[in-house]
Amino acid sequence: MTKTTRALGLLATTAALAAPAHADKLDDIISSGTLRCAVVLDFPPMGMRDDSNNPIGFDVDYCNDLAAALGVTAEIVETPFPERIPALMSGRVDVGVASTSDTLERAKTVGMSIPYYAFENAVVGNEGVEMSTWEDMKGKTVGATAGTYEAIWLEKQINEWGEGTFRPYQTQADVFLALSQGQLDATVSTVEVANANVASGNFPGIKIIDKAPMVPDYVALFTMREEYGLINYLNLFVNQQVRTGRYAELYAKWVGEGEPADLTVPGIYR
Amino acid sequence: MFNYTFQWKQALARLPQMLDGALVTMQIAILSMVIGIGLAIVLTMFRLSGVRVLSAVSKTWVEVARNTPALFQIYMAHFGLGSFGIHLSPFASILLGITFNNAGYLTENFRGALKAIPDTQARAARSLGFGQGGAFRYVVLPQMLRIAFLPMTNQMVWAILMTSLGVTVGMNSDLYGVTQDLNALTFRTFELFALAALIFYVITKVITLGARLIAARLFRY
Repeated sequence: MTKTTRALGLLATTAALAAPAHADKLDDIISSGTLRCAVVLDFPPMGMRDDSNNPIGFDVDYCNDLAAALGVTAEIVETPFPERIPALMSGRVDVGVASTSDTLERAKTVGMSIPYYAFENAVVGNEGVEMSTWEDMKGKTVGATAGTYEAIWLEKQINEWGEGTFRPYQTQADVFLALSQGQLDATVSTVEVANANVASGNFPGIKIIDKAPMVPDYVALFTMREEYGLINYLNLFVNQQVRTGRYAELYAKWVGEGEPADLTVPGIYR
Repeated sequence: MFNYTFQWKQALARLPQMLDGALVTMQIAILSMVIGIGLAIVLTMFRLSGVRVLSAVSKTWVEVARNTPALFQIYMAHFGLGSFGIHLSPFASILLGITFNNAGYLTENFRGALKAIPDTQARAARSLGFGQGGAFRYVVLPQMLRIAFLPMTNQMVWAILMTSLGVTVGMNSDLYGVTQDLNALTFRTFELFALAALIFYVITKVITLGARLIAARLFRY
Protein backbone atom coordinates (compact mmCIF):
# COMPACT_ATOMS: atom_id res chain seq x y z
CA MET A 1 0.00 0.00 0.00
CA THR A 2 1.42 3.34 -0.97
CA LYS A 3 1.51 6.30 1.31
CA THR A 4 -1.04 8.09 -0.84
CA THR A 5 -3.64 5.35 -0.67
CA ARG A 6 -3.08 4.98 3.05
CA ALA A 7 -3.55 8.72 3.50
CA LEU A 8 -6.67 8.65 1.34
CA GLY A 9 -8.04 5.75 3.33
CA LEU A 10 -7.43 7.57 6.57
CA LEU A 11 -9.10 10.65 5.16
CA ALA A 12 -12.16 8.64 4.09
CA THR A 13 -12.44 7.04 7.54
CA THR A 14 -12.22 10.41 9.27
CA ALA A 15 -14.83 11.84 6.91
CA ALA A 16 -17.15 8.93 7.65
CA LEU A 17 -16.75 9.38 11.40
CA ALA A 18 -17.22 13.11 11.20
CA ALA A 19 -20.38 12.86 9.09
CA PRO A 20 -23.45 13.66 11.16
CA ALA A 21 -25.28 10.60 12.49
CA HIS A 22 -28.59 9.93 10.78
CA ALA A 23 -31.24 11.86 12.68
CA ASP A 24 -34.25 9.82 13.70
CA LYS A 25 -37.85 10.94 14.10
CA LEU A 26 -37.28 11.94 17.73
CA ASP A 27 -34.48 14.28 16.66
CA ASP A 28 -36.57 15.55 13.75
CA ILE A 29 -39.42 16.50 16.08
CA ILE A 30 -37.14 18.23 18.57
CA SER A 31 -35.31 20.18 15.90
CA SER A 32 -38.47 21.11 14.01
CA GLY A 33 -39.94 22.55 17.20
CA THR A 34 -43.37 21.08 16.45
CA LEU A 35 -45.05 17.83 17.42
CA ARG A 36 -47.89 16.96 15.05
CA CYS A 37 -50.43 14.63 16.67
CA ALA A 38 -53.24 12.80 14.92
CA VAL A 39 -56.27 13.24 17.19
CA VAL A 40 -59.85 12.14 16.58
CA LEU A 41 -62.12 15.07 17.41
CA ASP A 42 -65.53 13.43 17.26
CA PHE A 43 -64.81 11.09 20.12
CA PRO A 44 -65.80 12.86 23.36
CA PRO A 45 -64.43 13.11 25.95
CA MET A 46 -61.13 11.96 24.39
CA GLY A 47 -61.26 14.42 21.51
CA MET A 48 -63.85 17.08 20.67
CA ARG A 49 -64.26 20.81 20.05
CA ASP A 50 -65.35 23.47 22.49
CA ASP A 51 -67.90 26.22 21.78
CA SER A 52 -65.32 28.32 19.96
CA ASN A 53 -64.28 25.30 17.87
CA ASN A 54 -60.94 24.69 19.58
CA PRO A 55 -59.83 21.08 20.01
CA ILE A 56 -60.18 19.86 23.59
CA GLY A 57 -60.28 16.54 25.41
CA PHE A 58 -58.14 13.89 27.04
CA ASP A 59 -56.16 13.09 23.88
CA VAL A 60 -55.63 16.79 23.12
CA ASP A 61 -54.21 17.36 26.61
CA TYR A 62 -52.13 14.22 26.31
CA CYS A 63 -50.58 15.51 23.09
CA ASN A 64 -49.92 18.88 24.71
CA ASP A 65 -48.20 17.12 27.64
CA LEU A 66 -46.06 15.11 25.27
CA ALA A 67 -45.08 18.23 23.35
CA ALA A 68 -44.22 20.01 26.59
CA ALA A 69 -42.02 17.08 27.63
CA LEU A 70 -40.23 17.26 24.29
CA GLY A 71 -39.90 21.03 24.59
CA VAL A 72 -41.82 21.72 21.39
CA THR A 73 -45.20 23.12 20.35
CA ALA A 74 -48.09 20.74 19.82
CA GLU A 75 -50.08 20.82 16.61
CA ILE A 76 -53.39 18.94 16.72
CA VAL A 77 -54.19 17.43 13.33
CA GLU A 78 -57.83 16.39 13.22
CA THR A 79 -58.06 12.85 11.86
CA PRO A 80 -61.20 10.75 11.52
CA PHE A 81 -60.80 7.17 12.76
CA PRO A 82 -60.24 5.53 9.37
CA GLU A 83 -57.57 8.10 8.42
CA ARG A 84 -55.26 7.82 11.41
CA ILE A 85 -52.76 5.49 9.79
CA PRO A 86 -52.80 7.07 6.33
CA ALA A 87 -52.07 10.38 8.07
CA LEU A 88 -49.01 8.84 9.71
CA MET A 89 -47.80 6.99 6.62
CA SER A 90 -48.09 10.05 4.43
CA GLY A 91 -46.05 12.10 6.90
CA ARG A 92 -48.83 14.49 7.92
CA VAL A 93 -48.38 13.64 11.59
CA ASP A 94 -45.54 12.42 13.81
CA VAL A 95 -47.50 10.56 16.46
CA GLY A 96 -51.03 9.29 16.87
CA VAL A 97 -52.74 10.25 20.13
CA ALA A 98 -56.00 8.90 18.85
CA SER A 99 -57.40 6.28 21.23
CA THR A 100 -55.98 3.57 18.99
CA SER A 101 -56.44 -0.05 20.09
CA ASP A 102 -53.16 -1.93 20.15
CA THR A 103 -54.17 -4.98 18.11
CA LEU A 104 -51.50 -7.40 16.92
CA GLU A 105 -52.79 -7.08 13.37
CA ARG A 106 -52.19 -3.32 13.41
CA ALA A 107 -48.83 -3.68 15.12
CA LYS A 108 -47.61 -5.34 11.93
CA THR A 109 -47.94 -1.94 10.29
CA VAL A 110 -47.27 0.69 12.96
CA GLY A 111 -45.23 0.85 16.16
CA MET A 112 -47.35 0.91 19.32
CA SER A 113 -46.33 2.30 22.72
CA ILE A 114 -47.39 0.67 25.98
CA PRO A 115 -51.11 1.37 26.70
CA TYR A 116 -51.88 4.93 27.82
CA TYR A 117 -55.59 4.41 28.46
CA ALA A 118 -58.08 1.55 28.73
CA PHE A 119 -61.72 1.69 27.73
CA GLU A 120 -64.61 -0.37 28.90
CA ASN A 121 -67.55 -0.57 26.56
CA ALA A 122 -71.27 -0.10 26.97
CA VAL A 123 -74.25 -1.17 24.92
CA VAL A 124 -76.41 1.83 24.05
CA GLY A 125 -79.88 1.25 22.66
CA ASN A 126 -82.80 3.11 21.16
CA GLU A 127 -85.49 3.62 23.81
CA GLY A 128 -88.10 2.18 21.46
CA VAL A 129 -86.40 -1.19 21.42
CA GLU A 130 -86.96 -3.77 24.15
CA MET A 131 -83.48 -4.60 25.48
CA SER A 132 -82.08 -5.34 28.92
CA THR A 133 -78.76 -7.14 28.43
CA TRP A 134 -76.03 -7.08 25.83
CA GLU A 135 -77.26 -10.42 24.51
CA ASP A 136 -80.49 -8.76 23.40
CA MET A 137 -78.46 -7.33 20.52
CA LYS A 138 -78.84 -10.76 18.92
CA GLY A 139 -80.86 -10.42 15.74
CA LYS A 140 -80.98 -6.62 15.93
CA THR A 141 -79.63 -3.99 13.58
CA VAL A 142 -76.51 -2.68 15.25
CA GLY A 143 -73.72 -0.34 14.22
CA ALA A 144 -70.50 1.32 15.31
CA THR A 145 -67.80 3.61 13.96
CA ALA A 146 -65.94 1.96 11.10
CA GLY A 147 -62.46 0.87 12.02
CA THR A 148 -62.82 0.93 15.80
CA TYR A 149 -62.23 -1.86 18.31
CA GLU A 150 -65.97 -1.89 19.12
CA ALA A 151 -66.89 -2.17 15.44
CA ILE A 152 -64.53 -5.09 14.91
CA TRP A 153 -65.86 -6.85 18.04
CA LEU A 154 -69.49 -6.19 17.18
CA GLU A 155 -69.22 -7.40 13.60
CA LYS A 156 -67.53 -10.59 14.82
CA GLN A 157 -70.28 -11.09 17.40
CA ILE A 158 -73.00 -10.70 14.74
CA ASN A 159 -71.22 -13.24 12.56
CA GLU A 160 -71.01 -15.69 15.48
CA TRP A 161 -74.70 -15.29 16.27
CA GLY A 162 -75.47 -15.72 12.61
CA GLU A 163 -78.33 -13.25 12.78
CA GLY A 164 -78.75 -9.51 12.87
CA THR A 165 -77.19 -6.79 10.77
CA PHE A 166 -74.05 -4.77 11.30
CA ARG A 167 -73.52 -1.28 9.87
CA PRO A 168 -70.28 0.65 10.12
CA TYR A 169 -70.62 4.44 9.91
CA GLN A 170 -67.88 6.94 9.20
CA THR A 171 -68.06 8.94 12.40
CA GLN A 172 -69.21 8.43 15.97
CA ALA A 173 -71.70 11.25 15.42
CA ASP A 174 -73.29 9.38 12.48
CA VAL A 175 -73.63 6.24 14.62
CA PHE A 176 -75.48 8.11 17.35
CA LEU A 177 -77.57 10.01 14.79
CA ALA A 178 -78.63 6.69 13.25
CA LEU A 179 -79.34 5.27 16.71
CA SER A 180 -81.35 8.32 17.72
CA GLN A 181 -83.37 8.18 14.47
CA GLY A 182 -84.06 4.49 15.06
CA GLN A 183 -82.10 3.33 12.01
CA LEU A 184 -80.04 1.31 14.48
CA ASP A 185 -81.42 -0.63 17.42
CA ALA A 186 -78.19 -0.54 19.38
CA THR A 187 -74.53 0.32 19.30
CA VAL A 188 -71.51 -0.49 21.38
CA SER A 189 -69.31 2.41 22.37
CA THR A 190 -66.89 3.18 25.14
CA VAL A 191 -68.54 3.95 28.46
CA GLU A 192 -67.05 7.45 28.31
CA VAL A 193 -68.54 8.20 24.89
CA ALA A 194 -71.87 6.63 25.80
CA ASN A 195 -72.20 8.74 28.97
CA ALA A 196 -71.15 11.92 27.20
CA ASN A 197 -73.59 11.39 24.34
CA VAL A 198 -76.55 10.42 26.53
CA ALA A 199 -75.87 13.41 28.79
CA SER A 200 -75.39 15.85 25.91
CA GLY A 201 -79.04 15.68 24.86
CA ASN A 202 -77.94 15.90 21.22
CA PHE A 203 -79.29 12.44 20.58
CA PRO A 204 -82.78 12.08 22.04
CA GLY A 205 -84.28 8.64 22.57
CA ILE A 206 -81.16 6.67 23.48
CA LYS A 207 -80.26 4.91 26.73
CA ILE A 208 -77.40 2.88 28.18
CA ILE A 209 -78.39 -0.76 28.49
CA ASP A 210 -75.51 -2.86 29.73
CA LYS A 211 -71.76 -3.23 29.79
CA ALA A 212 -70.37 -5.07 26.78
CA PRO A 213 -68.45 -8.25 27.71
CA MET A 214 -65.28 -7.16 25.98
CA VAL A 215 -61.68 -7.38 27.08
CA PRO A 216 -60.82 -3.79 28.10
CA ASP A 217 -59.84 -1.88 25.02
CA TYR A 218 -56.24 -0.88 25.67
CA VAL A 219 -55.20 2.02 23.52
CA ALA A 220 -51.67 3.04 22.65
CA LEU A 221 -49.79 5.92 21.15
CA PHE A 222 -48.37 5.02 17.77
CA THR A 223 -45.73 6.13 15.33
CA MET A 224 -43.69 4.59 12.49
CA ARG A 225 -42.81 0.98 13.26
CA GLU A 226 -39.05 1.45 12.93
CA GLU A 227 -38.75 4.59 15.08
CA TYR A 228 -37.41 2.82 18.15
CA GLY A 229 -36.00 5.98 19.65
CA LEU A 230 -39.38 7.67 19.57
CA ILE A 231 -41.25 4.54 20.70
CA ASN A 232 -38.91 4.24 23.72
CA TYR A 233 -39.55 7.88 24.51
CA LEU A 234 -43.32 7.35 24.24
CA ASN A 235 -43.15 4.36 26.60
CA LEU A 236 -41.27 6.32 29.20
CA PHE A 237 -43.64 9.24 28.75
CA VAL A 238 -46.70 7.04 29.40
CA ASN A 239 -44.98 5.61 32.45
CA GLN A 240 -44.21 9.11 33.76
CA GLN A 241 -47.76 10.33 33.16
CA VAL A 242 -49.01 7.59 35.49
CA ARG A 243 -46.35 7.86 38.17
CA THR A 244 -46.60 11.67 38.40
CA GLY A 245 -50.35 11.45 38.85
CA ARG A 246 -51.07 13.28 35.60
CA TYR A 247 -53.04 10.31 34.24
CA ALA A 248 -55.40 10.43 37.24
CA GLU A 249 -55.62 14.21 36.91
CA LEU A 250 -56.60 14.05 33.23
CA TYR A 251 -59.05 11.25 34.00
CA ALA A 252 -60.75 13.38 36.66
CA LYS A 253 -60.81 16.38 34.32
CA TRP A 254 -62.32 14.67 31.27
CA VAL A 255 -63.96 11.44 32.34
CA GLY A 256 -65.12 12.18 35.84
CA GLU A 257 -65.16 10.51 39.22
CA GLY A 258 -63.68 7.14 39.93
CA GLU A 259 -60.40 5.46 39.35
CA PRO A 260 -58.79 5.48 35.91
CA ALA A 261 -58.48 1.99 34.49
CA ASP A 262 -55.42 -0.06 35.41
CA LEU A 263 -52.98 -0.08 32.51
CA THR A 264 -51.28 -3.32 33.49
CA VAL A 265 -52.31 -6.90 32.98
CA PRO A 266 -51.59 -9.01 36.08
CA GLY A 267 -48.91 -11.61 35.60
CA ILE A 268 -47.65 -10.13 32.36
CA TYR A 269 -44.45 -8.20 31.88
CA ARG A 270 -44.20 -5.53 29.28
CA MET B 1 -39.90 11.24 3.31
CA PHE B 2 -41.78 8.18 2.16
CA ASN B 3 -41.00 5.34 4.48
CA TYR B 4 -43.12 2.27 3.94
CA THR B 5 -42.53 -1.40 3.32
CA PHE B 6 -45.11 -2.96 1.08
CA GLN B 7 -46.75 -6.20 2.11
CA TRP B 8 -48.63 -7.15 -1.03
CA LYS B 9 -49.22 -10.70 0.11
CA GLN B 10 -51.43 -9.48 2.95
CA ALA B 11 -53.58 -7.52 0.53
CA LEU B 12 -53.70 -10.28 -2.08
CA ALA B 13 -54.91 -12.74 0.56
CA ARG B 14 -58.02 -10.55 0.87
CA LEU B 15 -58.67 -10.48 -2.89
CA PRO B 16 -61.59 -12.97 -2.79
CA GLN B 17 -63.42 -10.80 -0.24
CA MET B 18 -62.78 -7.74 -2.39
CA LEU B 19 -64.07 -9.47 -5.52
CA ASP B 20 -67.26 -10.38 -3.64
CA GLY B 21 -67.51 -6.68 -2.85
CA ALA B 22 -67.01 -5.85 -6.54
CA LEU B 23 -70.05 -8.01 -7.36
CA VAL B 24 -72.20 -6.00 -4.96
CA THR B 25 -70.84 -2.80 -6.51
CA MET B 26 -71.83 -4.03 -9.97
CA GLN B 27 -75.24 -5.05 -8.70
CA ILE B 28 -75.91 -1.55 -7.33
CA ALA B 29 -74.60 0.14 -10.47
CA ILE B 30 -76.62 -2.02 -12.88
CA LEU B 31 -79.85 -1.75 -10.86
CA SER B 32 -79.43 2.00 -10.52
CA MET B 33 -78.88 2.30 -14.29
CA VAL B 34 -81.87 0.16 -15.27
CA ILE B 35 -84.21 2.04 -12.93
CA GLY B 36 -82.51 5.34 -13.78
CA ILE B 37 -83.05 4.90 -17.53
CA GLY B 38 -86.71 4.01 -16.97
CA LEU B 39 -87.19 7.08 -14.78
CA ALA B 40 -85.30 9.30 -17.22
CA ILE B 41 -87.57 8.25 -20.10
CA VAL B 42 -90.61 9.10 -17.99
CA LEU B 43 -89.08 12.41 -16.90
CA THR B 44 -88.22 13.27 -20.52
CA MET B 45 -91.81 12.61 -21.52
CA PHE B 46 -92.98 14.75 -18.59
CA ARG B 47 -90.80 17.55 -19.85
CA LEU B 48 -92.20 17.29 -23.37
CA SER B 49 -95.80 16.70 -22.30
CA GLY B 50 -96.62 20.39 -22.15
CA VAL B 51 -98.40 19.82 -18.82
CA ARG B 52 -96.94 22.46 -16.54
CA VAL B 53 -96.91 20.40 -13.31
CA LEU B 54 -95.24 17.40 -14.93
CA SER B 55 -92.71 19.60 -16.67
CA ALA B 56 -91.90 21.31 -13.35
CA VAL B 57 -91.38 17.94 -11.64
CA SER B 58 -88.94 16.93 -14.34
CA LYS B 59 -87.11 20.26 -14.29
CA THR B 60 -86.75 20.28 -10.49
CA TRP B 61 -85.45 16.72 -10.45
CA VAL B 62 -82.80 17.51 -13.06
CA GLU B 63 -81.78 20.74 -11.33
CA VAL B 64 -81.33 19.09 -7.91
CA ALA B 65 -79.68 15.93 -9.23
CA ARG B 66 -77.16 17.80 -11.36
CA ASN B 67 -76.36 20.69 -9.06
CA THR B 68 -75.87 19.02 -5.68
CA PRO B 69 -73.08 16.61 -4.71
CA ALA B 70 -73.81 12.90 -5.10
CA LEU B 71 -72.56 12.44 -1.54
CA PHE B 72 -75.30 14.80 -0.36
CA GLN B 73 -77.96 12.90 -2.32
CA ILE B 74 -76.92 9.59 -0.77
CA TYR B 75 -76.59 11.02 2.73
CA MET B 76 -80.06 12.57 2.42
CA ALA B 77 -81.55 9.25 1.32
CA HIS B 78 -80.33 7.71 4.58
CA PHE B 79 -80.20 10.34 7.30
CA GLY B 80 -82.50 12.90 5.65
CA LEU B 81 -85.38 10.47 5.26
CA GLY B 82 -84.35 8.87 8.56
CA SER B 83 -85.24 12.02 10.47
CA PHE B 84 -88.80 11.63 9.16
CA GLY B 85 -88.90 8.05 10.41
CA ILE B 86 -88.37 6.52 6.97
CA HIS B 87 -85.58 4.00 7.43
CA LEU B 88 -83.76 2.70 4.39
CA SER B 89 -81.08 0.04 4.63
CA PRO B 90 -77.62 1.13 3.48
CA PHE B 91 -78.16 -0.82 0.25
CA ALA B 92 -81.49 0.89 -0.43
CA SER B 93 -80.04 4.30 0.50
CA ILE B 94 -77.12 4.07 -1.87
CA LEU B 95 -79.35 2.64 -4.61
CA LEU B 96 -81.85 5.46 -4.16
CA GLY B 97 -79.13 8.12 -4.10
CA ILE B 98 -77.36 6.88 -7.22
CA THR B 99 -80.61 6.22 -9.10
CA PHE B 100 -81.78 9.76 -8.33
CA ASN B 101 -78.49 11.09 -9.67
CA ASN B 102 -78.58 8.84 -12.74
CA ALA B 103 -82.14 9.77 -13.63
CA GLY B 104 -81.29 13.48 -13.45
CA TYR B 105 -78.26 13.27 -15.70
CA LEU B 106 -79.86 10.84 -18.15
CA THR B 107 -82.96 13.02 -18.53
CA GLU B 108 -80.71 15.83 -19.62
CA ASN B 109 -78.90 13.50 -22.03
CA PHE B 110 -82.17 12.28 -23.48
CA ARG B 111 -83.42 15.82 -23.97
CA GLY B 112 -80.26 16.65 -25.87
CA ALA B 113 -80.61 13.50 -27.96
CA LEU B 114 -84.24 14.32 -28.79
CA LYS B 115 -83.20 17.71 -30.09
CA ALA B 116 -80.91 15.95 -32.54
CA ILE B 117 -83.83 14.01 -34.05
CA PRO B 118 -85.58 16.00 -36.77
CA ASP B 119 -89.31 16.65 -36.28
CA THR B 120 -89.86 15.10 -39.67
CA GLN B 121 -89.22 11.67 -38.16
CA ALA B 122 -92.28 11.92 -35.96
CA ARG B 123 -94.30 13.46 -38.75
CA ALA B 124 -93.30 10.72 -41.18
CA ALA B 125 -94.31 8.11 -38.61
CA ARG B 126 -97.67 9.82 -38.11
CA SER B 127 -98.23 9.84 -41.88
CA LEU B 128 -97.63 6.09 -41.88
CA GLY B 129 -100.50 5.72 -39.45
CA PHE B 130 -98.79 5.66 -36.04
CA GLY B 131 -100.52 7.48 -33.22
CA GLN B 132 -98.61 10.07 -31.17
CA GLY B 133 -97.58 7.48 -28.59
CA GLY B 134 -96.69 4.93 -31.23
CA ALA B 135 -94.58 7.41 -33.16
CA PHE B 136 -92.64 8.21 -29.98
CA ARG B 137 -92.24 4.62 -28.90
CA TYR B 138 -91.35 3.00 -32.22
CA VAL B 139 -89.61 5.78 -34.12
CA VAL B 140 -88.32 8.56 -31.88
CA LEU B 141 -87.37 6.63 -28.72
CA PRO B 142 -85.09 4.08 -30.42
CA GLN B 143 -83.22 6.86 -32.21
CA MET B 144 -82.96 8.84 -28.99
CA LEU B 145 -81.52 5.87 -27.06
CA ARG B 146 -79.05 5.30 -29.86
CA ILE B 147 -77.77 8.88 -29.75
CA ALA B 148 -77.70 8.85 -25.95
CA PHE B 149 -75.91 5.51 -25.80
CA LEU B 150 -72.38 6.73 -25.16
CA PRO B 151 -73.38 9.32 -22.56
CA MET B 152 -75.26 6.45 -20.89
CA THR B 153 -72.03 4.50 -20.74
CA ASN B 154 -70.38 7.44 -19.00
CA GLN B 155 -73.19 7.50 -16.47
CA MET B 156 -72.74 3.77 -15.86
CA VAL B 157 -69.06 4.30 -15.10
CA TRP B 158 -69.97 7.18 -12.84
CA ALA B 159 -72.55 4.98 -11.08
CA ILE B 160 -69.90 2.37 -10.36
CA LEU B 161 -67.56 4.97 -8.92
CA MET B 162 -70.35 6.56 -6.88
CA THR B 163 -70.93 3.29 -5.01
CA SER B 164 -67.81 4.17 -3.02
CA LEU B 165 -69.89 6.86 -1.30
CA GLY B 166 -71.93 4.10 0.35
CA VAL B 167 -69.53 4.06 3.32
CA THR B 168 -71.13 7.29 4.55
CA VAL B 169 -74.44 5.47 5.07
CA GLY B 170 -73.01 2.35 6.69
CA MET B 171 -72.56 0.24 3.55
CA ASN B 172 -69.78 -2.31 3.98
CA SER B 173 -70.50 -5.08 1.50
CA ASP B 174 -69.54 -3.22 -1.69
CA LEU B 175 -65.97 -3.02 -2.98
CA TYR B 176 -65.10 0.23 -1.24
CA GLY B 177 -66.81 -0.79 2.00
CA VAL B 178 -65.06 -4.15 2.09
CA THR B 179 -61.73 -2.45 1.46
CA GLN B 180 -62.29 0.02 4.26
CA ASP B 181 -63.23 -2.73 6.71
CA LEU B 182 -60.07 -4.63 5.83
CA ASN B 183 -58.08 -1.43 6.25
CA ALA B 184 -59.45 -0.96 9.77
CA LEU B 185 -58.42 -4.50 10.58
CA THR B 186 -54.89 -4.47 9.17
CA PHE B 187 -53.94 -0.81 8.57
CA ARG B 188 -52.42 -1.94 5.23
CA THR B 189 -53.99 1.11 3.66
CA PHE B 190 -51.90 1.60 0.56
CA GLU B 191 -51.85 -2.00 -0.64
CA LEU B 192 -55.57 -2.56 -0.05
CA PHE B 193 -56.69 0.66 -1.69
CA ALA B 194 -54.30 0.19 -4.61
CA LEU B 195 -55.83 -3.23 -5.18
CA ALA B 196 -59.34 -1.78 -4.95
CA ALA B 197 -58.41 0.97 -7.39
CA LEU B 198 -57.14 -1.65 -9.82
CA ILE B 199 -60.40 -3.60 -9.56
CA PHE B 200 -62.42 -0.41 -10.13
CA TYR B 201 -60.23 0.38 -13.13
CA VAL B 202 -60.66 -3.06 -14.68
CA ILE B 203 -64.44 -3.00 -14.20
CA THR B 204 -64.87 0.43 -15.78
CA LYS B 205 -62.46 -0.45 -18.59
CA VAL B 206 -64.41 -3.61 -19.41
CA ILE B 207 -67.64 -1.62 -19.44
CA THR B 208 -66.33 1.13 -21.72
CA LEU B 209 -64.79 -1.40 -24.11
CA GLY B 210 -67.97 -3.48 -24.08
CA ALA B 211 -70.03 -0.39 -24.75
CA ARG B 212 -67.81 0.52 -27.69
CA LEU B 213 -68.35 -2.92 -29.21
CA ILE B 214 -72.10 -2.66 -28.76
CA ALA B 215 -72.03 0.87 -30.15
CA ALA B 216 -70.22 -0.34 -33.26
CA ARG B 217 -73.13 -2.69 -33.90
CA LEU B 218 -75.85 -0.22 -32.94
CA PHE B 219 -74.58 2.58 -35.11
CA ARG B 220 -74.32 0.46 -38.25
CA TYR B 221 -77.12 1.51 -40.55
